[in-house]
Amino acid sequence: MASTPRRLKRSGLTMPVVTPRFINNAWHRGCDYINMDLEDSVPPRLKDVARNLIRESIPVVNKGGADAVCRINHDLMEADLNAVVWPGLMMVNYPKAEYAHEIERMDGIITRLEAERGIRPGTVEIGANIETAVGVANAYEIVTASSRVMDFGGAAGYDMSRDLGVEMFVGFDQFVYGKGEVELAARAAGREPHAAPFTPNITGSVSDPDRAFAEADAARKCGFRIGGGLHPAVVEPQIRGFAATDDEISDAMWVIQEYRKLDRTGETWLQVDVASVDREGSPRPMAADSYLGRHRVIDRYEAARAEELLQWRSLCQERDREKAEAIARVNAAEAAGSPS
Amino acid sequence: MSILVRRSNLVVPAVQSRMVVRSWMRHADAVTLDLQDGTPAAELSQVRSTLRQCVALAGKGGAQVFVRVNADFVYADSNAAIGPELTGIVLPGVESANQVAEADGILADLEKIHGVTRGSLEITPSIETAAGVWHIREIITASPRVRQVGIDEAALAASLGITQSSEHDAFVFARGRLCIEATAAGVQPIAVADPMGVQTGQISHETMTQIATDSRNLGFKGMVCGHPSWIDPVNEAYTPTESLVDYYTQVREVFAQALAAGTAAAPFAGRMIDVPVDEWAKDVLAMSAACAARDAEKQAALAAAEASFDSSIPVIG
Repeated sequence: MASTPRRLKRSGLTMPVVTPRFINNAWHRGCDYINMDLEDSVPPRLKDVARNLIRESIPVVNKGGADAVCRINHDLMEADLNAVVWPGLMMVNYPKAEYAHEIERMDGIITRLEAERGIRPGTVEIGANIETAVGVANAYEIVTASSRVMDFGGAAGYDMSRDLGVEMFVGFDQFVYGKGEVELAARAAGREPHAAPFTPNITGSVSDPDRAFAEADAARKCGFRIGGGLHPAVVEPQIRGFAATDDEISDAMWVIQEYRKLDRTGETWLQVDVASVDREGSPRPMAADSYLGRHRVIDRYEAARAEELLQWRSLCQERDREKAEAIARVNAAEAAGSPS
Repeated sequence: MSILVRRSNLVVPAVQSRMVVRSWMRHADAVTLDLQDGTPAAELSQVRSTLRQCVALAGKGGAQVFVRVNADFVYADSNAAIGPELTGIVLPGVESANQVAEADGILADLEKIHGVTRGSLEITPSIETAAGVWHIREIITASPRVRQVGIDEAALAASLGITQSSEHDAFVFARGRLCIEATAAGVQPIAVADPMGVQTGQISHETMTQIATDSRNLGFKGMVCGHPSWIDPVNEAYTPTESLVDYYTQVREVFAQALAAGTAAAPFAGRMIDVPVDEWAKDVLAMSAACAARDAEKQAALAAAEASFDSSIPVIG
């Protein structure tokens, strides 16, 4: 079963903090989080300028309800942390994580900054991103180096492809082993794996909504709960892909209903031919030709999966409501002519 | 740091004198003279007696020459092969760091005895069992002589009771572990892509190119070639194509323009170009140059060898 994250991260946009139009428009993109980038999208000569923009950008990006995240530079960790750990920051993304001692050092610096800046201890999470073979080899040590590491993933993407010397977008999953290692390490440590199953991508497009939906849908079905991207066009498809459909929710409720009946019989499982179940009833199982199949086994594992799905839907609804209220507040304030 | 270009490694049974005599003409980056599987035990002494000569012959076309020794006769086999033309040994069936450390000690002794540069001989462990795959990290870090490591898929399949077929890939995990651990240790993973391990014959140039390209895109840096016809497609597949070189040359230009304009993220050909893409572009262009240099080196050696080729050279062994 997928573990439940503290904060939902179904969709997020990574953007260079030095580009004002991206930052200023981020709040109404509908993302669960905005990842303000100090790393790869920021030229070296602008690193100082960029890190000093984060504090003022936090309330700008999260006024629509999105959580504020900042991707720092691996080689400028201390200077970047000093500039970005301020009230309102939810998480620091640390790229190219390779060793546990890097995370331990980050934890110490963040702990000090939280104390100095009036932030509740333990608030700022660490997202550790694996982007090298060394990082994969040390995955478990890295993810367990600090309780702040709540988001752990990678082992794919351009940096990883460069380290392995492979091309991106080759039509098969060249990262399957590394991704598996990182996911296992995250799950074994009780942290949220930031990954997705392989879905073919030979174009490398960052703005294809259909691919974004397919990837998010596949990710959810494989127990992943975190998404993210670079283009506003992928935000809505990701949110949709991570959401359970009405049919899936009805199915989950039906599974739980059938399991409760089973519980009263003393049996531990039963098999149901869903083709024989009334399609007009409610709740009702997914159709016989759905991805769940025609002959369904109802047991405690299936019931647990259904419970998790319902819980996930509640979390999604709660988060969507939270964001909608935040956006409504901003719109109302703007309509009244007062600063938001 | 210079790039090790060892794309193709032709394996030739040391006992097969016709194959050995022709091995230098095959354009392989490396040739491995096999004393283990390809050489009957009864003929080992005879083969050893001419091995040093065979090593020199196999390297005439610019190939680096290895000898695949018998695990039980590392000293005797290495001693018979050692000379200025030997690049290293392939150590079969490695399951523990101790085996590599022991071979390291033997090579150190032989280097001293034969006046070969200390530490120059390489050890290429061949992983052939589950224990070898499991202990891969300890194995490849047991000696600085290890610059490449490979999985012998045919041997691994036999040890695991696997019947290889193109329908099912049994080695996703083993290959993945090899590529990750080797890359992490700065060692080049080399292999044959499933189901190459059981195909020792001639296959089409096109098929071989695709298999080698896929293996490169899994992270391997070269392939063991069981047949001379594999060498050219393997060399091609592990050399950046002209279209890739053109593409990444443009990537570098676009990224430089973006940096000048104050951003490190720029759209190009439907993709997003940022630092890691530019870094990878540098790697591809550097690899292209290194391959060209290696090919020129082999071409020069080949031309010199052909000029002095004497067809009356006696068959060895």
